[in-house]
Amino acid sequence: MRTSLLIAAIFIAASGAGRAETPRDFLTRFEKEAGTAASAERGARFFTARHGGEWSCASCHTERPTQAGRHAKTDKPISALAPSANGERFTDAAKVDKWFRRNCNDTMNRACTAQEKADVIAWLLSFK
Amino acid sequence: MPSTSQTVRVWDLPTRLFHWSLAASFLVAFITAESEKWRDIHVLAGYGLAGLIAFRVLWGFVGSRHARFADFLPTPGKVVAYLESLLAGRPRHYLGHNPAGAVAIFLLLAGGLIVAASGYATYNEIGGHLLEEVHDVAANGMMALVIIHLAGVVVSSWLHHENLVKAMITGRKQTHHENPAG
Repeated sequence: MRTSLLIAAIFIAASGAGRAETPRDFLTRFEKEAGTAASAERGARFFTARHGGEWSCASCHTERPTQAGRHAKTDKPISALAPSANGERFTDAAKVDKWFRRNCNDTMNRACTAQEKADVIAWLLSFK
Repeated sequence: MPSTSQTVRVWDLPTRLFHWSLAASFLVAFITAESEKWRDIHVLAGYGLAGLIAFRVLWGFVGSRHARFADFLPTPGKVVAYLESLLAGRPRHYLGHNPAGAVAIFLLLAGGLIVAASGYATYNEIGGHLLEEVHDVAANGMMALVIIHLAGVVVSSWLHHENLVKAMITGRKQTHHENPAG
């Protein structure tokens, strides 16, 4: 009994179910960190523009984030980024932080600011 | 003719080639993990690592004496005794792998299999988010083991007055130590 409880606890912890969040939670969090309201319009421009690097966000995620994207290097499909099209997006803090860190470095050679992240999420949430 | 009466062959050539190839492929995979630009190289290094470990598992049964798992299978008793001798500043000398090193080897082999399998699954989008996390955790765990391994090599080399890095390159060790168990 105790063993099975322990195993269940490990699975819940490992799957991140204990800290499930919604895309709106992340929008709020990054807006709070930035100290300003997010702008979906700014997010759209940011997402599709290149920032000195070879790739924009849209290079892999496309300019229509309700559709599946394609990895710019390996050509492998990437599931849609907009939460309306893919319920798994922006529901796990560890994953959100990990992929913002990696992808911002790849596209901008620096970390994204909280405002940039809030703008992108606001834009992604504008797709119904 | 490198053979002299004072040195003895410990690590066979396949074991040495495996060791340095594994170190190189893990290092390449670890460094290329952070950017999508290097994803192709990362995946290639991962396949290399998996193939090398498959070879090493086989070699652990059919290789030469000190390459065989039976030669350095670490029992809890042996590990505790070795760590105690290490803490006392007089570590027991083994010609082959010492029991603490042996634990690290089995953990690294297992970690390598887990990291390669979970990486393959993540890359081919089977297994989802959980295996992605397993991949990250296993890779970081392996890096921690590698760092402990490097520290162990430095400490052991110093305490035993033998150059273990050189031994893993030439395959030979000095025999002036008493090593009844080999």
